[in-house]
Amino acid sequence: MNESMNRRDCLRMFGFSGLTAGLGVISTRQLFGQEVGESSGFQSSIIATHEVQSNRGGAVIIDGKVIQPRRELPILDKTDVLVVGGGPAGVVAAIAAKRAGVNVTLVERYGHFGGLWTGGLVLLVIGHIVKGGKQVCQGIGEEIMRRLDKLDGAIINRTAGNNPTVDAEAVKYVMVEMIEEAGVKVFLHCWGVDAVIDGNIVRGVVFESKSGRQAILADVVIDATGDGDIFAAAGATFEHRSHNVGLVSRIGNLDRVDKEKVSGQPKPKHLGSPTPVAGINWVNMHGPEVDGLDVATLTRMEMNHRKFIWNNMQKTRQIPGYEHVYLVETAPQLGVRITRVLDGLKTVTLEDLKAGTKFPDVVGVGGSEKGDHGEWQIPYGALVPVKTDNVLAAGRCICAELRMADLVRLIPNCFVTGHAAGVAGAVAVKDTCRPRDVDINKVRKILRQQEAYLG
Amino acid sequence: MCLIVAIAALWPILPGTNSLAFVPALSPFVAIASLLGTRTFHALTWLGLTVGVVTLVRHRFFCRWICPVGLCVDGVSRFGRRLGRRPMRVPLLGRWIVWLTIGGALVGYPFLLWLDPLAIFANVPFLVRQSSRLGIWLPATGFLAIIVLSIIWPRVWCERICPLGAFQDLLLLLRRSFHSIITVKGKIEKKSNVDSIIARRTVLGIAAGVASAWVAGPVRAKTSSPLRPPGARDESQFAGVCTRCGNCLRVCPSRIIDRDVGQNGWAKLFTPVLNFASDYCREDCIRCTEVCPSGALSRLSLEEKTGIQIGLPEVDMNVCLLGDDRECSVCKRWCPYGAIRYVFSETQYTLKPQIDPQKCTGCGACEAVCPTTPQKAIVVLPNPIH
Repeated sequence: MNESMNRRDCLRMFGFSGLTAGLGVISTRQLFGQEVGESSGFQSSIIATHEVQSNRGGAVIIDGKVIQPRRELPILDKTDVLVVGGGPAGVVAAIAAKRAGVNVTLVERYGHFGGLWTGGLVLLVIGHIVKGGKQVCQGIGEEIMRRLDKLDGAIINRTAGNNPTVDAEAVKYVMVEMIEEAGVKVFLHCWGVDAVIDGNIVRGVVFESKSGRQAILADVVIDATGDGDIFAAAGATFEHRSHNVGLVSRIGNLDRVDKEKVSGQPKPKHLGSPTPVAGINWVNMHGPEVDGLDVATLTRMEMNHRKFIWNNMQKTRQIPGYEHVYLVETAPQLGVRITRVLDGLKTVTLEDLKAGTKFPDVVGVGGSEKGDHGEWQIPYGALVPVKTDNVLAAGRCICAELRMADLVRLIPNCFVTGHAAGVAGAVAVKDTCRPRDVDINKVRKILRQQEAYLG
Repeated sequence: MCLIVAIAALWPILPGTNSLAFVPALSPFVAIASLLGTRTFHALTWLGLTVGVVTLVRHRFFCRWICPVGLCVDGVSRFGRRLGRRPMRVPLLGRWIVWLTIGGALVGYPFLLWLDPLAIFANVPFLVRQSSRLGIWLPATGFLAIIVLSIIWPRVWCERICPLGAFQDLLLLLRRSFHSIITVKGKIEKKSNVDSIIARRTVLGIAAGVASAWVAGPVRAKTSSPLRPPGARDESQFAGVCTRCGNCLRVCPSRIIDRDVGQNGWAKLFTPVLNFASDYCREDCIRCTEVCPSGALSRLSLEEKTGIQIGLPEVDMNVCLLGDDRECSVCKRWCPYGAIRYVFSETQYTLKPQIDPQKCTGCGACEAVCPTTPQKAIVVLPNPIH
């Protein structure tokens, strides 16, 4: 280690002096390559030769049908609570469960945390307030926001009654920090594809990754996939819905828009709203209402939206005053809003929202876009499948009627349901009971200890 | 008795009661004129007709014992007399008001119905309840005018101007002339002379009423129609049949009924108009239609009300958050009839709220909850007059 450090330092110095001397003998690329590959000075090294993939699926064609034979899957991990999906709901659920004193493993299909919040570039956080501007999203979700407050350029508009806008990279960073501090075990680049079931009981989840198909066994699985991939695979019933699927983008140089040229002109559409980075806006997109579970549709959406965003930017640049505006990036993740929604023991309904119904098993309070509604309570039953055991839903896929879909899916409300699912999962593990049988008062007590607001 | 009625009338000041709603309906003038005007019996017509029958037997019984305005006028007249004021000698204006109104009613427009003293009186308790709105306290000045008038010229309102009093006088004359027909003809010759003058004036007044209401008809039809409470009569009739008593405003639980303060022409002054700025017409409420004394709002069942379209919303996409790619679903979520859908436009690449006119009742829920300020993106507009 020491040796390599020395070498690195040496090279750096050499490179620097070389550049300053104007020799240019060693390119920076060569420098970089040697710095990463710590082995032999080459950019890569051999792990094995003529290897046969051990963890193969072995799919074959029998009578024109593709058949996947039975096989044993390697067990990657055994844990108490397994959280599938590292979005706002999953990250909060994992931290909450770990803090409640059980072992937690979190798996995420992309290389970062935050889900649509970061990967989808949905940077505006709406839904944490109710009528009158009172903030109902507290607990770990609020802790994330407070950590963002402390970072430079991570969040703007964090004032009472307003909806803040975050920087996606700051959120990714804060989430890594919090997950590590809590001591949650993480596997990134893991796509949960199946549930390990024992009748009606979920025993774990099967993942697909670059390491092949593997399983993680757990006492309680929290489905924070957003699409309900895990409870659906476990056989729980759900409602399959369509919603608008869009693609968010960020555009830059808005601080270079010529104010004299644009004054008096109507503002072009699709210019978005400000982000913590000066001159950069994020541009939301609704997109058409489609089935977000259909891969052909998702592909079409990606391609159409990409074309639109590029072409629209070219049009915008034709407008006098907007010549310097440019497309910074499109979101890595397509903006799927709602797909599967669990059939739960209880349903979040608009009638209850209007009536301000109070549930004995309330585990969270939801907010609305601009504080358009009063407090609406989320009962624990909305996270619990009707029949399937040992799996809880968190995030946008909890049991809510169609008219509530647009409230349930909001980021702060995903924090709230994630928090509840995490604590309930931990309590179920500790008390060795099914999640549907947990002592709800215990869950509520721990939630309160973790500063959640329960009405 | 007067006291009891007055107390009953002041009852609505106490929260939770609405006994005042029946006061304007006690007027036989309103009952008969609106019966003629709308050619339908309304929920409260019977009240006025009953009082009418009583007054046939006991002349001006109503004025002396029931009418709250009568009570007040008596009081201040006494005060006026003490100041040395004497009643002014004016012609019997009340009768002309009645004739014109009845005449108008025959062609569907009883246009001086709003001079009914009970309707005027009904506006007073508003001063106590919600006095911040112009349309609330302005109509109450009518009662104030009667009081001031009665101090300056004691009892001139009750005896000379009040159409309700005059109506009772005419009912009495009608009864007497019936008597004279039934009993021996021409027995009282002097009286018949007076009778013929009255008869002539009646015919003249009614004819004038018919003529003016008929002539003004096409003009009325052209004026813009404001948003009316559900069950409102056709706009060409509404301002005539409405007594401006304010019953509908008073009973509306969401307080969306406001007064026209001249936005739609003087003929529609103080008529009820809807304002969805902060609330909407509730899907489980028909109260305003139950308390209308004249049938300007016809009584509806909840089912019938759902079939009525108050107006239709229109969306200004320059204001709507969806037009700016913002996440908002408030109007769609609140619409009690599921009439709003968000449709994606391939050309604009944005969502646009689309209203199903078959389902929409124009209840204004979408407008009330629309979060944009100061201008609402979705606004209910009155349907064009047929």
